[in-house]
Amino acid sequence: MGDLSPVRYRLGVDIGGTFADFCVLNEATGEVSTLKVLSTPATPGQEVIDGLRGVQSRFGIAPADLAWFTHGTTVGVNAVIQRKGIPLALFVTRNFRDVLELARLKTPDPYDLLSRRPAPLVPRERVIEIDGRLDADGTEAEPLDEASVRAALEQAEARGAEGIVLALLHSYRNPAQEHAAQALLRKLRPEMPVYCSADVWPIIREYERSVTAVVHGHVQPRVAFYLASLQRALLEAGVVAEPMVTKSNGGVMRAELGKTRCVEMLLSGTAAGAIGAAFVARAAGVPRAMSLDIGGTSADVAVITDGAPSYGTGERVGDFPVYIPTVAVTSIGEGGGSIAAVDALGLLTVGPESAGSTPGPACYGRGGTRATITDAMCVLGFIGHGALGYDSVRVRADLAAQAVDEVAQALGRSRQETAEAIVQVAVSGMYREVSKLAARQGVDPRDFCLMPFGGAGPMLGALLARELGMREVLIPLTPGVLSALGGLIADIRSDFIETVYADLDAAALPGLTAAFARLRAEATRWIREDQRFAGEVTFRPSAEMRYRGQSFEIEVPLEAAWIEAGDLAAMAEAFHQAHEKLYGHADRGAPIQAIALRMVVAGTVPAPRFPEQDRVEGAPEILREVEVWLDGRAQAAPLYLRSALRHGHRFSGPCIVLQDDTTSCIPPGMTGEVDRFGNLRLTAG
Amino acid sequence: MSIDPVTLQIFGNHAQAAAEAMAFTLFRTAHSTFVKETEDFTTGLCTPEGLTFASPRELGATWFIGLEYGPVIRALSDYREGDVGMTNDPYSGFVCTHSPDIHLWKPIFWEGELVCFAVGHIHNTDVGGAVPASLSRALTEVHQEGIRFPPVKLVAEGVLDQRLLDIMLLNVRAPTQNWGDLKAQLAAMTTGERKVHEMIRRFGLATFRAGMEGLLDLADRQARRVLSSIPDGDYEFHDYLDEDSPGGLPCRLQLNMRIRGETAELDFTGSDPQLTASLNMPTGGSARHILLMVGWNYVLYTLDPTMLLNGGLVRPATCIVPEGTVLNPVFPAAVGMRSMTCMRLQGVLMGAFQRAVPDRLPAGPASGGPMMNVNTTDNRTGRRVMAAIDPITGGGGGAPDGDGNDGSGGNSGFLKNTPVEINEAEVPIRILRYGLEPDSGGAGKHRGGMATVLEFRVHAPGTVVTARNRDRSRFRSWGVQGGLPGAASQFWRNPGTARAENLGNTDVVTLDPGDVIRIVCSGASGWGPAWERPVAAVEADLAAGKISATAAARDYGVVPGNAAETQRLRAALAAAPRRDFDPGPEREAYEQVWTDANYAALTAILASLPIHWRHYAKRQIFARIEAMAERRGDGSEVQAAFAALRQDFPQIAG
Repeated sequence: MGDLSPVRYRLGVDIGGTFADFCVLNEATGEVSTLKVLSTPATPGQEVIDGLRGVQSRFGIAPADLAWFTHGTTVGVNAVIQRKGIPLALFVTRNFRDVLELARLKTPDPYDLLSRRPAPLVPRERVIEIDGRLDADGTEAEPLDEASVRAALEQAEARGAEGIVLALLHSYRNPAQEHAAQALLRKLRPEMPVYCSADVWPIIREYERSVTAVVHGHVQPRVAFYLASLQRALLEAGVVAEPMVTKSNGGVMRAELGKTRCVEMLLSGTAAGAIGAAFVARAAGVPRAMSLDIGGTSADVAVITDGAPSYGTGERVGDFPVYIPTVAVTSIGEGGGSIAAVDALGLLTVGPESAGSTPGPACYGRGGTRATITDAMCVLGFIGHGALGYDSVRVRADLAAQAVDEVAQALGRSRQETAEAIVQVAVSGMYREVSKLAARQGVDPRDFCLMPFGGAGPMLGALLARELGMREVLIPLTPGVLSALGGLIADIRSDFIETVYADLDAAALPGLTAAFARLRAEATRWIREDQRFAGEVTFRPSAEMRYRGQSFEIEVPLEAAWIEAGDLAAMAEAFHQAHEKLYGHADRGAPIQAIALRMVVAGTVPAPRFPEQDRVEGAPEILREVEVWLDGRAQAAPLYLRSALRHGHRFSGPCIVLQDDTTSCIPPGMTGEVDRFGNLRLTAG
Repeated sequence: MSIDPVTLQIFGNHAQAAAEAMAFTLFRTAHSTFVKETEDFTTGLCTPEGLTFASPRELGATWFIGLEYGPVIRALSDYREGDVGMTNDPYSGFVCTHSPDIHLWKPIFWEGELVCFAVGHIHNTDVGGAVPASLSRALTEVHQEGIRFPPVKLVAEGVLDQRLLDIMLLNVRAPTQNWGDLKAQLAAMTTGERKVHEMIRRFGLATFRAGMEGLLDLADRQARRVLSSIPDGDYEFHDYLDEDSPGGLPCRLQLNMRIRGETAELDFTGSDPQLTASLNMPTGGSARHILLMVGWNYVLYTLDPTMLLNGGLVRPATCIVPEGTVLNPVFPAAVGMRSMTCMRLQGVLMGAFQRAVPDRLPAGPASGGPMMNVNTTDNRTGRRVMAAIDPITGGGGGAPDGDGNDGSGGNSGFLKNTPVEINEAEVPIRILRYGLEPDSGGAGKHRGGMATVLEFRVHAPGTVVTARNRDRSRFRSWGVQGGLPGAASQFWRNPGTARAENLGNTDVVTLDPGDVIRIVCSGASGWGPAWERPVAAVEADLAAGKISATAAARDYGVVPGNAAETQRLRAALAAAPRRDFDPGPEREAYEQVWTDANYAALTAILASLPIHWRHYAKRQIFARIEAMAERRGDGSEVQAAFAALRQDFPQIAG
């Protein structure tokens, strides 16, 4: 893609269940324009073209003016959730056929005698054993038996496989047998896709590596086809910029590369949201933030420290964990569409059932009849003062009241009391999940600023902050399109790993140094040749380490200088400190193992500077005053238009802020001020 | 003060968050890999009386929901802010149930008033005693099971009792680990205290107190609602451990469950006498001891997954557990391996409920799979390597709504395995096979879950393999509603060679270099007649290699591609009388001798003897019955055998 200097506009597109979000950045001014169009799940890609037209008609920006185009797609994740990828066969080492069936044994709900693990993506009849064996150190104990590969291929085809995944024991140490089998299969069936687990992501632990490779193989043909269609459509539409796609690791890559690295894109939507939130937090000078992305069917939290989100692996895609580096996002509920019900003992429950995007909440008037959180907020008077989602939804307060009344009758409370109870129970459920997340990471939510976004985030965020005792809330200027924004400011980024399984000692040092050199060469080749990036590049080496005897690793960032100098002591100390920080203790006398070495390469995309507003004095203009019900009573609440709120404006709860794509609800006891970037900064009184 | 249902829901979410936060704190800061891998720990909050009203769901052992801390709380007095009580003695109030479990409880105050306790335990890898890890079936007295502390203040007003700690650490094999884990436990207690204080600030003290009771009441009401959906009646169920001691006799666990409206009486009379082995379950004869109620909790939660998991859940039950039996041993009986008995007893409760609501609960789950430990030498380094390699698990029972989960499930769904690649990298063994064992799941309209099989070769002399908790090598799990039992478990040395040795029910074996071990868990049983299973489902199992062609024809009456033969075989199977309970031929043969009448006679006799005679007398009576040429099964031969025994030992009657 080369030089970024002539860039005038960047466009980020993120496709969700209901809407496709567009975010246009004027590089010269830092100004951001946003747009939503309905997504077109039946014809993926059509919404992109629709949106491009909208961008041109609304903002006068022609496709040819776009010098940077990033895109997050849900084609892959939907294929996994709906299991609509291609039928695969999995070739495994003989006598280890059940790697997917057994997973790691634990059932989804161990208290339930009827709990079952989800069926694997490859059924057992298409998991086929081949001969050949490696030792744990990668040496060949038995050679690959080509006859067994041929026989397996025949079986696989007879059983309907259209693609093959190879996942042999210890291939993370030595991919030669997987590669040899792949070469043979390609010779025999040049058209058939064949994937090697060691190429997808070469980690130790056979289930984790195999399931990742299988998910990749399952979606790859479909995603590649989609990307090729999109590339064509964009060209036809006159977009000359090479399309980039967002990744689960919070970065972007060329769409062309995405065709072969589909597994890296599956969770790109939530990742880009966290990247967008992190960017806003950094710009606003917020050191510790929790992003809260609530949509119609999901509520997700990411922890952001010093402007960067946390990373993890094993994040779930549909029924399956995927073990590639991913921005860590935790689900804390089912979103604004969560349905309220009263059970046989008279208890009020909210979720996990959700009205989803169809029919959606009752007040959307699309056939939903059961009360959701959104309906409760409508009854309380917080929403319904304008259209939602860029005029696509007219709120029907009468339908919300009708739905809530049914719950009210069962609960024996008034309509308003019931609506408030629904919101309180829902918020306390989110409280429980955020509290768990904080305990797992050993942090206190009260040290964080909550950053709600998504269609329903600003509606519930301040209430959740109040429940958690969080004193600060930041509602970004464009909460409805933060994922699209995240995509267009994300770095070009890729991860590389080599499993070394070595003691961290002098004897292993030459091996470790050589492995790091290989990783760096690989990363350099990727960013310069595959990605064709000529700009400034950073390398971030790290190691997954543990004390000998432990069964879990910590990823510890290392400095290139330590690796060059062979400074084992510095590496060890970094691990001790990381262990201490995470677990509260370290054992400086204990031997350390380095299980895997990693390298992140990032090509920096110039960061935009959001325009700063001039500070104004005085109170913001009140659109009108409405009545809301909160804390057990009716209260008068001013209604503001977000577009009328300028830097320096102050307001206090209860009040409501309306904008095209979301409604911010500010409860009593919170005061707000608009910062220089137009963010709403709320503080508990 | 009572609490309104909406506030209770909100309070419940906060209480749940508190218990989870405690669990995450403990898990995050624990030192031993054992804690991280097995999650054999609990955290929670209980009322001043000791009733647990909040337990974590995401982490920790599934068995101790609602464990009652009252007896140990009452064992200490004059609680002050900053105190922490500790015990690991199974005979001091029966809160701790074997010595490796170190329990802590911390009083939480608000403005000088005691409001509740933070509680929890960790299973320590070792607390000293006769054997490493402090557990062995062969132990006969609790004194052999490591150092024990009666209820005592480990921390008094914030000051750790260093002398107490030193004594503990002096007596255990891995003191650094124990101390590290104890610190994690203390940290969890502090987290619990902080969360409770936050809750009191949020809800107020009166609401907090009402909330604790409200949550217990709610679980109680939920449980009663489930019970009222179960027909009133008496439901008998019993099952056996293969051995009551190494190389011993079967051990019978008996339950007569009487459902009356919203309540249940669980009468365990008829269960075997106290054993001179460590399989005894210390319950103190409590009406609702947690070890008696694990199966109850599983069943009620399965029948209503919205069930709150706390101490209120067990309130509608009353247990009858005669003293001096395996389910209520008296001091100083060894109790270390009570988990094996508890696991089987869970199945007994599941079975009794299954009889009551056969169309709502599954057939018998697999069980008797051990935790495999290997103690060997790395030939390259000379270093001794000791490692837990995997739990050997079997599936869940076939259920009204479908097949049992393969490989693990039912009441073993909490276990996790270790990857083959990690085992081979860490332990100098070669794993030859790990996966599902064909034909191990009991046939049925809904098939029982399959067992897992593990085979490995060792490379060094003097390699010791321990398979603690092995069982079901003789008596199998039970099929229901016409379903067949799952396969028995297996333990082989060098299978398929001239040197093959069936290791039966043993749990420790010493190996030579080159030896191969093959271990298979038992399979779970089927639900519903196998001939009713759709032919397509049988063919799918066949194609997937989950059953063999032999089993397809024999058990399911299916010969692929031969409709006529399939029809003929299925008709023959359908013509046979349907059996609502099928525990397999091994148990039927055993019960030819040990009829209900004979066992009732045995139980009555043993119950009349002084406790120290009971296990001995059982063995003697069994031997005499074995030697009899003719048996009537009406109890008379047991009376005769006992009469002969009395003649030999007149002092027996005490």
